[in-house]
Amino acid sequence: MSTAAPAPRRGIRLSRRQALGLAAGGALGAAGLRVALLHPAGLVTPSTPASAAGGAGAWASPLGSSRALAAHLLRRAGFGYTGAELDAAAALSYGDLVDKLVTQAPQQPPVLATTDQFNYRTVSRWWYAHMATTTAQLPERMALFWHGHLTSDYRKAANFPYVHKQNQLYRELGTGDLRSLLLGVVYDPLMVRYLDLDQSSAKAPNENFAREVMELYTLGAGGYTEQDVREGARALSGIRVALLDSGGTPMPLPKRQAGSTPQEYVQQLVRLLDGGARFAGVLQPRMHDQGTKTYLGHTGAIGPDQVVDILLAQDACAPFVTTKALTHFGMPSPSRDTVTRIATQFRASKYDIRTLLRAIFTSSEFKDPANYRSLVRSPADYMVAAMRATGRTALAQQAVNAGGGMDQVLYDPPTVAGWPVNAAWVSSSAWLGRVNFAQMVVAAKGAALPDVRTALHTQLDGVVGPGTAGVINAAATDQDRWYALLASPEFQLK
Amino acid sequence: MSITRRDFLASGLLAGAAGIVVPPVLARGVLAAANDGVHNNRVLVVVQLGGGNDGLNTVVPYADAAYHDARPGIGVAVDKVLHLDAAAGLNPVMTGMKALYDAGRLAVVQGVGYNNPTYSHFEALHVWEYADPQRRATDGWLGRLLATQMKDASNPLAACALGQTGTPTELRASGATVSVISSVKGYDVQGGAVRQAAAPALYRRTPGVYGALFDQALSTAETGIGALKKASTYSPAVAYGSTATVYGSKNSLADALQMTAQMIVTQPAVKICHVVLGGFDTHQQEDQRQAALLTNVDMAISSFMKDLDAHGVADRVVLMTWSEFGRRVKENGSRGTDHGSAAPVFVVGAPVKGGMYGAAPSLTDLDSGNLKHTTDFRSVYQAVIQDWLGGDASSVLGASFPQLSLLRA
Repeated sequence: MSTAAPAPRRGIRLSRRQALGLAAGGALGAAGLRVALLHPAGLVTPSTPASAAGGAGAWASPLGSSRALAAHLLRRAGFGYTGAELDAAAALSYGDLVDKLVTQAPQQPPVLATTDQFNYRTVSRWWYAHMATTTAQLPERMALFWHGHLTSDYRKAANFPYVHKQNQLYRELGTGDLRSLLLGVVYDPLMVRYLDLDQSSAKAPNENFAREVMELYTLGAGGYTEQDVREGARALSGIRVALLDSGGTPMPLPKRQAGSTPQEYVQQLVRLLDGGARFAGVLQPRMHDQGTKTYLGHTGAIGPDQVVDILLAQDACAPFVTTKALTHFGMPSPSRDTVTRIATQFRASKYDIRTLLRAIFTSSEFKDPANYRSLVRSPADYMVAAMRATGRTALAQQAVNAGGGMDQVLYDPPTVAGWPVNAAWVSSSAWLGRVNFAQMVVAAKGAALPDVRTALHTQLDGVVGPGTAGVINAAATDQDRWYALLASPEFQLK
Repeated sequence: MSITRRDFLASGLLAGAAGIVVPPVLARGVLAAANDGVHNNRVLVVVQLGGGNDGLNTVVPYADAAYHDARPGIGVAVDKVLHLDAAAGLNPVMTGMKALYDAGRLAVVQGVGYNNPTYSHFEALHVWEYADPQRRATDGWLGRLLATQMKDASNPLAACALGQTGTPTELRASGATVSVISSVKGYDVQGGAVRQAAAPALYRRTPGVYGALFDQALSTAETGIGALKKASTYSPAVAYGSTATVYGSKNSLADALQMTAQMIVTQPAVKICHVVLGGFDTHQQEDQRQAALLTNVDMAISSFMKDLDAHGVADRVVLMTWSEFGRRVKENGSRGTDHGSAAPVFVVGAPVKGGMYGAAPSLTDLDSGNLKHTTDFRSVYQAVIQDWLGGDASSVLGASFPQLSLLRA
């Protein structure tokens, strides 16, 4: 935290002259107004306003400043930050900061009571609490990214703790290598249930997972034929969810006693899990099609593990996954050159996910001033960022409750493709959900809100448009100003 | 050709009055002449069945032995089917739809699809949402209709996505304004008058690539909130059964259609409503799961039609269903079906000329185990754009398609 924080003034006054004068060339409203909210020393020369082509014009990008660039990176590699966290980040060179972030080891959340692992909402609440408080934000952000990319919904986990298990998988393997992650997914109980792998046998292969693993997870449409779907389904047949004892030996799943309630059955499973048992996907040789398949040009007795290796050997794989990562972390429409260059590094690293992220964050496209505020925060991202910015991190249950109104309920994606990104988040209803979450945060009981004058610089880089400037100028209280900050268009972007 | 702002305002003033019927051909001529005398208070309700509804267990070709051969586990028994004619019948749970059929208000269009079908959810969705099997279009078909032919109807309630939080792709287009209302009660800025003034004020002339989109979201919400607050009161005339639980899930479609009725009854500006029910991707346990979903569809649509009748607006509303594809003829080993192609579409309402349309696809002359379509889906779109809404279908769809006369003269 800057120790030279100026004495707070009463109210924040953005004079009309300041706001107008700062937009160079008289291009009123044509550029994001870089407003001076504190004192003249905090004022940075505005960058040249963008062309008037975009109506209201472009944001006056501050990315030429190292502090703003650090904030830009923190918003994308993590969720959000306090003023002190930004100060610490900005004290490092950009390269060191990227290194520090991408090498963070996953931080385990507090143990969730076994009984609570059976309900996706208690798991979601526990996850939001961790996203809002962990010091290892990047692995947590990656867990959220993979939850959207290798998505599953909670319904088929009914009465089993599979949501919790998949959540841990994406935290544990989400910053490792793609091969390990995909192998984890193929045998992940929630995925096995969600895309019907447990319904697939040699006698009756089910195509659901076989199609989506190519179309949505690794290659994209056009990277395979219908014949590959059929052969892939054979190769992936025979996986079942088993209960393993602490030594890894399959044990019979207890039958629910006639007359017992679902809760009693859960307690029965809880006792087994607390005794060291665990659920896992297991290949059952008798149900697996042992025959020869021809899959994506490879012929042999292909099984699930070979499927993963064959997928990773396809030229479409690295560009497909890279494009997906870029639209979440880099820019909404990456150029073909950008994708090719970063995908080449990703593949050459044997699909090391940290290499992929480092390549994105250190690319010139990422740091390009025109790339400022080019991504829309997802609802989960927005809510966690609001909690972190205000220090009101105990609002996890409220986040679970509010997600639906913004179009994102964790473990309930709209389709098997997960959530669409950026512009697709925007709707009248979802934006009401966002401004109403801002109200919930500022009205919540809890610690006093941090100094809003400082926050306008740390959270919004001091770059605000005319709407936000007007509301902040007219605001009567600091709570009103915090509301404006959190509900603002600027805070929805990263 | 363009339906002018004044048309829509005029239609608003006439809401509740008996629909003034303008023959489509004449209407187009009149519109082309930009004559403001055209009054059109008609509403199209689009019901999306997400995930690929199995058409063969919805409209069952019960008289065809090949159906029963292909569906030994999940086929619907002949004596259970609700017979529509000598060849086809509805799934047994669809008693409300059967009553609508008997009343001459349900058109069943069989074998709806397109050439060279894709079996990917996302490609197939793209085809239907953009009305473009080549998947080159960048705007949804309803969005194109809105933006190009109703663009002066700037009322944000002209197009509503109800019971949803995201804008449906069909309605997305540059220049199309869509109100997305997940619940009427929650559609407001919380926190009192200061917040209600501040929230929309934050979103004025927002810079950046998302600026216009953001500002439109808030101004759309602001206008919609205002209109809803001033609206006349509505209470449903029938129980929609939205809180009843069918096989473990509440009927969200009933909720959404009740909200649709509320919007139609209280908001004269409403032209296009979109609702969705997901879960039709029945790779396993289809018999139970699809029955539950179709029960919800049946309850929701039949309650909606009764409610419209009771409020005297049934003559203003046509509803159509669609799904991205039907499913494989032969069932899989999991009492389910994998992705397929052609399937029936329902077009429902008092203005609809009930009956069977299009040929039922052969169950033996298949394409890789999938049905060959007999009716292009764009013929259905053409009917609702042109014959119902009075728009110019060929400019939205890029071509003309074989005519389906689904509406009463």
